[in-house]
Amino acid sequence: MEDDDKKIIVPDKKIIFDEKDKITRRDFLGLTAKGAAATMIAGVFAPSAGSMIGLGSVAEAATKKIKPFTFAVLTDGHLYDIKDHRFDGMFMDAVNMVNNMKPLPDMVIYAGDIGQSGLKSELLKGKAMLDKLKMPYKVIPGEHDWYLDMGKAWRSLFGDENWSINHNGVHVIGMNSIKIADFWTGPGLTPEQRMGRVLELECNSCGPWGVEEEGLEWLKKDVKKVKPDTPIIFFSHSPLWDYYPRWNFATKDAPEIRDILRKFDNVMAVHGHVHQVVFNKIGNISSIGTSSTSWPWPYPPVDLPYPNIRHNRLDPGDFKDGMGSHHLSVAEDGSGTMFYDPFNPSAIPEAVKRGVKL
Amino acid sequence: MKYKLFAKASAMSMLLGILIFVISAPTQSKEPLDDAADFDRLMEAVAYGDQLWHTGEGAGGKHPELSTNGLGCANCHPDGSATQPESWPKYQTNLGKVGTLREMINWCIQVVQNGKGYAYDSKEMIAMEAYATYMNRGAKLDPGMNKQTAPFVISGPGYPTNNEGNR
Repeated sequence: MEDDDKKIIVPDKKIIFDEKDKITRRDFLGLTAKGAAATMIAGVFAPSAGSMIGLGSVAEAATKKIKPFTFAVLTDGHLYDIKDHRFDGMFMDAVNMVNNMKPLPDMVIYAGDIGQSGLKSELLKGKAMLDKLKMPYKVIPGEHDWYLDMGKAWRSLFGDENWSINHNGVHVIGMNSIKIADFWTGPGLTPEQRMGRVLELECNSCGPWGVEEEGLEWLKKDVKKVKPDTPIIFFSHSPLWDYYPRWNFATKDAPEIRDILRKFDNVMAVHGHVHQVVFNKIGNISSIGTSSTSWPWPYPPVDLPYPNIRHNRLDPGDFKDGMGSHHLSVAEDGSGTMFYDPFNPSAIPEAVKRGVKL
Repeated sequence: MKYKLFAKASAMSMLLGILIFVISAPTQSKEPLDDAADFDRLMEAVAYGDQLWHTGEGAGGKHPELSTNGLGCANCHPDGSATQPESWPKYQTNLGKVGTLREMINWCIQVVQNGKGYAYDSKEMIAMEAYATYMNRGAKLDPGMNKQTAPFVISGPGYPTNNEGNR
């Protein structure tokens, strides 16, 4: 009850962030004064001062030895085992978009849901297209990749579900955030029935998902020796905040993950799953959503914490509207800027086109 | 002349009407009003609509009326979101005219899901309309409105979807 009192409750009774994470107007003014113009250049501004983006400790990070770089981000292809499916073309279009970037990004991160029904054939189709990338790539799993064979095919193709790399002075983490407590053994569901339930966004018998205890232990160990002034980029399929839990636009152990990452000056969290432009900032963690290469999802019926950061209304008759690629550029001061690279530029508001500061 | 003929015809019609009423009244049975039972009938339609709404996700080719490319309604419209039953009829660019929700449902089935579609008075079409409308219950009538958010929050488990594989 005491804890509940510290939460900020939005009208739908959903917890957006903890009181201790709340950024006050004073914090905002202080940080912008310290962060100076660097924070302001590419940032996108919501109407109120408290909604401003780009509150990373930019000034403190300026002394670090970080070599600027760019990662491209692709996600949510939802490929079907159907020949010449429409989604194959959009997946490949996004791959080609990345291959045509100048300069080329150092690496590509795929943020989950390569397949739709967890079939190895779907994952193989996606891997064949990802293998055409001119640069290395890393993948994290989505729920659609996983629940037919509990990740067996995915692991055989893409390796560890939790991984980290150090790149140009930045620590980059990818985690499997779609682990669900066993809901299938009791009712005796077949693997196909289990997958069938999970692939429904509004599956209410599946329960919430997260990295679970094993993932939390892995993360604690992974970041133990990483210095707090090292910028962190964190990839997970689901967002690290309670956006709309009914659609699993949430990670059940996000509070614990945020606690583990709290020691860092700046954490740039990028997630898939939501098929839309969305942003939140909780303490030292910026969290940004991504567009898919399959279909867009409507915004759930909750207030967006940063209402200016969203895509425009999309045309259902334009199968590529609201979809595309992304790239995340990290500057010398350790701050990042996320750019949406849509197939159809009209999907993204002008302000968001200039990049979202992380 | 015309008036006399009309008066004669009207009188005969009235007599005939009374006669039919007298003959049929004792045998005509009318179900008593029962709101709960009527609501249950609606929910049967909603449940069938829910089943159809989620048919096709990951099950390409098995449901030619609804989908031949593995896409179901729920791929893009979870919980019936962004269907906006409260906004129809309205001018819809994709239809190129002022149309109805049923026409838009068929547009999605035929254009997005590569299915055949349903007759507008079919049990299936009415069930899908019932599902979309029920899931958006409480929304204020707003003809012509276009927005991309679902109109209300579904708390807890919401409508108890009958998840059974690729239904």
